[in-house]
Amino acid sequence: MNCLEFRRQLTINPQCGEVDFVRHRQDCPRCADAQDRANAFEASLHQALAVTLPPQLAESILLAQATRERRQRSIYRSGGLLALAAAVVLAFGIGMRAEATPLSTLAVDHLREEAEVLTWTKLVTPGSVQEAFATRGVALHGVPGGISFVGCCPMGRHLTVHMVMPGSNGPVTVIYVVDDHERVRVDFQRDGWHGRSVPMGKGTLVLLAQNVNQFDSVENTWRTALQVAPAPGNTHS
Amino acid sequence: MSAVSSKQRQFDALVRSLSGDLFRYGYWLCGDHTLAHDLVQETFLRAWRALDDLRDTTAAKAWLITILRREHARLYERKMPQFTDVDDIDVADERETHMPEFAGEENVIRNAMRKLDAKYREPLLMQVLGGFSCDEIARELKITPAAVMTQVFRARQKLKTMLSGGAQEAAIHELP
Repeated sequence: MNCLEFRRQLTINPQCGEVDFVRHRQDCPRCADAQDRANAFEASLHQALAVTLPPQLAESILLAQATRERRQRSIYRSGGLLALAAAVVLAFGIGMRAEATPLSTLAVDHLREEAEVLTWTKLVTPGSVQEAFATRGVALHGVPGGISFVGCCPMGRHLTVHMVMPGSNGPVTVIYVVDDHERVRVDFQRDGWHGRSVPMGKGTLVLLAQNVNQFDSVENTWRTALQVAPAPGNTHS
Repeated sequence: MSAVSSKQRQFDALVRSLSGDLFRYGYWLCGDHTLAHDLVQETFLRAWRALDDLRDTTAAKAWLITILRREHARLYERKMPQFTDVDDIDVADERETHMPEFAGEENVIRNAMRKLDAKYREPLLMQVLGGFSCDEIARELKITPAAVMTQVFRARQKLKTMLSGGAQEAAIHELP
């Protein structure tokens, strides 16, 4: 190996351990110096790439996995296996696509997966809410108060901002789906949850709660934040 | 010990030992902490469902990186990079160069990494963060080992050029 080959290899892989590479380093002081500089740069690079990890990263992943497992087992236990098999057959039979799952179903499923956040009461900062929406490419014109959880969650194939707003009648889950604009505003009930799905801005706002009393005020709050004109019949509940 | 608990133990060990590396890789892939967290979580949830397919536990990291990259590609349309041959690369003079390690605050290096084109950044990440060889990177990226060598060479050149103020292209580890 000559100096040219050594320097080229040094830039491709400074940790190279090939015999020729190591031997040339021993024989050529200038190339040895170059490798020392390269190693110093690699150390800086490695340190710079080591961004801070989210707190309790492993625990949050294991919690999500355990939650899904429990849910899966409960489907099996309740005889859902047959229903699931039937649904799969039906889905193939009519060519149904996964994307067609209604937002109401996806939202309730997602709420169950992250049910623990409903109990959170400490309010998050307006900046973190702004940041979550900005991450999803949405600019807010104001941040509603009283948000105890905010996260950028995948929901099925959709990208969302998932929030919880504690209220006197219990928490309201607010999910802004940024990439799906529903055609109509509807109220729904699913698996014991009251829900409302409202086309808003370029996306859809989904509200879920045990009690519908707060839906109108929460909806109006988010219309203001997203600068969307009030819908006709906003008293609908 | 039941098969289920054995599988759970294996999964726990994978999460605890590799979630950090995967998060960092995911972060540099998508450039966003929240999305990186989503990516890593979804990667491990998919890995759990397919854990029985993992025959060689020493290949777990590469297997998880593959899942993470697919998950990322699902969110972002990918373009296949164009490559040149490693033998076409010229090596210039070093003495004029301001070595980046002396200019290198962490944030400066991070900003330079963000500016680096994805086709250079990704193989470099796999080498530096993942500890993969050029052959392993080539298999993962479905390109030739020579193309990988070109990309990591160019990546370091471009990084150091940016860190030295952009005065020169390709002036690193060169002959005196």
